[in-house]
Amino acid sequence: MAISLATKAATDSLEINRAPVSVGAQEVHKWLQSFTWDFDKNRTKYSTKYKMANDTKEQFKLIAKEYARMESVKDERQFGSLQDVLTRVDAANRVHPKWNESMKVISNFLEVGEYNAIAATGMLWDSATAPEQKNGYLGQVLDEIRHTNQCGYINYYFAKQGQDAAGHNDARRTRAIGPLWKGMKRVFSDGFISGDAVECSINLQLVGEACFTNPLIVAVTEWASANGDEMTPTVFLSIETDELRHMANGYQTVVSIANDEAASKYLNTDLNNAFWTQQKYFTPVLGMMFEYGSHFKVEPWVKTWNRWVYEDWGGIWIGRLGKYGVESPASLRDAKKDAYWAHHDLFMIAYALWPTGFFRLTLPTAEEAEWYEANYPGWYDMYGKVYEEWRARGCEDPNSGFLPLQWFIENNHPIYIDRVSQVPFCPSYSKGASTLRVLEFNGKKHSFSDQWGERMWLSEPERYECQNIFEQYEGRELSEVIAEGHGVRSDGFTLIAQPHTSKDGRLWTLDDIKKIGCVFADPLKSL
Amino acid sequence: MSIVVSGGKRGLTDPKIAAVILAAIPDQPLETQRKMNYFMTPRGKRINEYETLCCYTQPTPDWIPGGLDWGDWTQKFHGGRPSWSNESTEMHSSDWHKHRDPAFRWHALYVKDKAEEWRYTDRFLKAYSADGHVRSIDPIWRDEVLGDYLGAFGFSEYGLFNSHSSATRDCLGDTLRMSIAMIGLDKVDNAQMIQAERTFLAKLVPSFNESTDVPKKEWTEGSIYKGARETVEEIWQGTYDWNEILFSGHMIYDPLFGQFVRREFFLRLSAYYGDNLTPFFINQMQLYHSQTKGITKDMFHTCLAVDENFGDYNVSLMNMWSDKWLPRTVNALKDFMGIFAKIPTIAGVTDKAAVEAALGRVFEDWKRDYADPIGYKVDTAALIKTVLSGLK
Ligand SMILES: [Fe+2]
Ligand SMILES: [Fe+2]
Repeated sequence: MAISLATKAATDSLEINRAPVSVGAQEVHKWLQSFTWDFDKNRTKYSTKYKMANDTKEQFKLIAKEYARMESVKDERQFGSLQDVLTRVDAANRVHPKWNESMKVISNFLEVGEYNAIAATGMLWDSATAPEQKNGYLGQVLDEIRHTNQCGYINYYFAKQGQDAAGHNDARRTRAIGPLWKGMKRVFSDGFISGDAVECSINLQLVGEACFTNPLIVAVTEWASANGDEMTPTVFLSIETDELRHMANGYQTVVSIANDEAASKYLNTDLNNAFWTQQKYFTPVLGMMFEYGSHFKVEPWVKTWNRWVYEDWGGIWIGRLGKYGVESPASLRDAKKDAYWAHHDLFMIAYALWPTGFFRLTLPTAEEAEWYEANYPGWYDMYGKVYEEWRARGCEDPNSGFLPLQWFIENNHPIYIDRVSQVPFCPSYSKGASTLRVLEFNGKKHSFSDQWGERMWLSEPERYECQNIFEQYEGRELSEVIAEGHGVRSDGFTLIAQPHTSKDGRLWTLDDIKKIGCVFADPLKSL
Repeated sequence: MSIVVSGGKRGLTDPKIAAVILAAIPDQPLETQRKMNYFMTPRGKRINEYETLCCYTQPTPDWIPGGLDWGDWTQKFHGGRPSWSNESTEMHSSDWHKHRDPAFRWHALYVKDKAEEWRYTDRFLKAYSADGHVRSIDPIWRDEVLGDYLGAFGFSEYGLFNSHSSATRDCLGDTLRMSIAMIGLDKVDNAQMIQAERTFLAKLVPSFNESTDVPKKEWTEGSIYKGARETVEEIWQGTYDWNEILFSGHMIYDPLFGQFVRREFFLRLSAYYGDNLTPFFINQMQLYHSQTKGITKDMFHTCLAVDENFGDYNVSLMNMWSDKWLPRTVNALKDFMGIFAKIPTIAGVTDKAAVEAALGRVFEDWKRDYADPIGYKVDTAALIKTVLSGLK
C-alpha cells in the first residue's frame, strides 16, 4: 500500500462518523445481485425448457436475519395465543365434532403441500440464475418449513387437547389408506416437484398459491371459526401472511421467462395443464371439506369458487400477467362446471369408502339437506334420496352389516379412478362432468374422467404410471387393509374412521367390517 | 337455530352457536392416546416437540428406506424419473428418517435464535459506532484485508450456500431436508454479514469502499482464493449426489478452509490490528459452524457410518470422498497462504511459525472430529507442509 494512501486512510479514521448507526436489511440486500459469478458449470441441475433471466429482481428484499426477525414476531403472537388464552378457555373442546374431523384431513394434507413446497422451492432456488430471484425462492423454502411445522402444530394441538385425538395423532401414518390420498399427492406433492422447474413453479406458485391458497387458507378460517375452531384461524392466517411473497415469486417466475421464446410456445399450455391438475382435486375436495365437514355453513362453495378462482384469479391475476402473453386457461370453463357438482359427487364416494379414512364422516342432516337443495337445486333427487336410503339401511350402525359401497355395487355403479389426477369418480352416478374413457397401454388399462387429464397422459404416459388404490388392494378384504394401514384406535380394534359423529352412536370395529366380507376389486378388470 | 352463519359470527363466542356445538361434543374424549406421532422411535427417551412437528411429514413410499407410504409417485419428471429416488445418492441407509438436528430446532426455534442475533447485532453496531471504536483499526487491515479479502471470502460462503439448493430438493428425508435448508440459510447469512460489515464500515469511514467489485475480482481472478473458488464451484455445481455435496462442503472444505480463514485468520488476527468489529460477525459464523457441525456429524457419523446394514459400505464411501476432496481443500489453503504477504507482519502472529501453529489447530481438530470417526488415515504434518509451501 502506498504511503499516501495509508496516510489518507489514517486521516479518514479521524473523520469518522460518530453517530450511532447500524445497517439495515435493504442496505445489504442491494448488493445481493452481485454475489454470484460466472463459471463454466454454473447452470441448474434441473432442466427447464425456459430460460430464466439473469437480472430478475425480487420485491421483498429480505436478508436471512431480517427474515428470521419477521417470522419470529409472527410466531410469538401465534403460539402465544394458542398456548395461552385458547388453552385456558379449553378452545379445542368447543369445536363442532364434524369440524374436529375435517381438520384431521385439512391440516395434514396441507402439511404435505407445505412440505413438498420446501423441495419445490429448493429446485427453483437452484434453477434461477439471478441471486435476487434465488433469494425470493430461498425465503419461500424457509417459509414452507414454517408452514409444515404449523400445520403439524394444529394436529398436535387437537390431539393433545381435543375431543377425538385419533387421526390427529397419527395422520402421517394412516393417511395413505383412503381414496383421497393419492390425488392429494398429485397436486400437493409430485405436481410441485417433478417436472420442468418452471412447470413446477406454475403448479405451486401461479396456480396452487395464487389461485387456491385463498379458498384453502382464508376460507377455511371462516368455516373454522363459524364451527367454533379458533386454533385454525390463528395458525392459518399467520401462514397466509407469508403467501404474498410466494405469489410474488410466481409472478417473478413468469417475468423472468417472459422474454424467452419458449414462453410464447409453451407457457399457456403449461399453465392450462397446471390449472387443470390443481383444480381437478381442489375444487371437489375443498368444497366437500367445507360443506360436508361442517355443521354451520358460511356460504355455498360454488360462490366462493366463482369469486376467488374464476373472477379473482382467472380474471384479475391472470389479467395482470396478460402483458407477458399469459392467457386465461382453456380448461377454466370446464372447471367452472365442476365447481357446482363435483364436490357432491366426491362426498358420495368418500362416504361410501368411509372405513378407509382417518377421520369420521357424517351424512347430511335434514336441515343440511334443505340447505343443499336451496343452494344446489336438484341435490335431493340425486344425493339426498340415496343418503336417506343408506341411513334407513343402518349405514351408521355397526350391527347393520351395511356399507354404502354395497349400494354402488348392487346398483351397478362402478367407481373408477382417474389415472392422471387419482381422483375417484362414478361415471354412471354423478352430476359432475365426469365421463369414462379407458385406454390401454403396455398391456395395462387406464381410466380417465376428463379430456384434459387424458391429453396429458396421451402425450407423456410415463409420467403417470402410479397404481391406484383399487389396483393396490385388489383381492384383499377391507378389514385387513385397514389393519395393515394402522387405521385403528389405541384399543387396537375400534376404527379411527366412523360413518357418523353422533355422540350417542356406536363405534365400528375391525370385526364389524370383517363380518361384511368386503373384498376389493379392480373395476378395470371387468371391462 | 339456523345452520347458516352470517356476519362473521364465531362459534366460540356466539352463545347460540356455542350451545349447539357443546351439545354435540361427546361427554368423554373418544381417544386416550393424545401423543401425536406416538408410533415413532424418538432419538431420546420420549418424543420431543421437534420430532412431533417434523418427523414423517414427508410422504415417503416404503421402497425408500424408512418410509411409511406405499406405491409409486403420482407424477414424474419428463421421461419418467421419479420424484425422489434411492439413486439420488451413492450412500445407503436403512432409514432416511433417522437424522435429527442435535439442537432439535424446528422452524420457530431456528428463527427465534437468528432474530435475537439480528436484534443484538443492531444494538451492538449502534454502540460500536457511537463509541468511535473504528478508529483503532489498522487502515491497511481495514481497507485491504476487510475491504477486499474478507469481501472475497463472502463469495466462498455464498457459493457454499447455493450448494444446498439441489440437496434441499433431492434429499430423502424430512428432518434432513429441514436441516439442509437451515444450514444453507446460515451460509448466505454469513455472506450477508460480511457485506453488512463492509457497508457499516463505509458508513463510518468516508473512504471505505463497500462495493463488491474489488472483492469479486479478487475471488474470480486473484490467486489467493483460486483453489477455494475452484473447489466451491465443484461442490456447488459439479456435484449431483446430495450427500456428496454435504460431505464435501461440510465435512472437508468448510472445517478446514472455512475454519482456517474465519477462525485462524480473521478472528485471531483482527485483535492484533485493532479490529474488534470483525470478531463480532465472525463469532456468529462460528456459532453457525458449530451448529452445522452437529447436524452434519449426525447425518454422516451418527446415522450413515453406523447404519445397521450399510455402515461399512458408507464408511468406505466417505473415505473415498475424503480422498477426492481433501487434496483440493489443501490446495485451496495453500493458495490462501498468499494473503500473509499482503498484511503488515507481526512477529509471533503472522510469521511462519504462527501460521503453522494455526494450521496445526485446524488440521488436528479436523482429524479428531471428522477423519478419525470414519477411520480416515491422514498425515496432518504432511498436509500442513504442503499448505505452507504456499507461504511467500
Ligand atoms: Fe406455504
Ligand atoms: Fe407457500
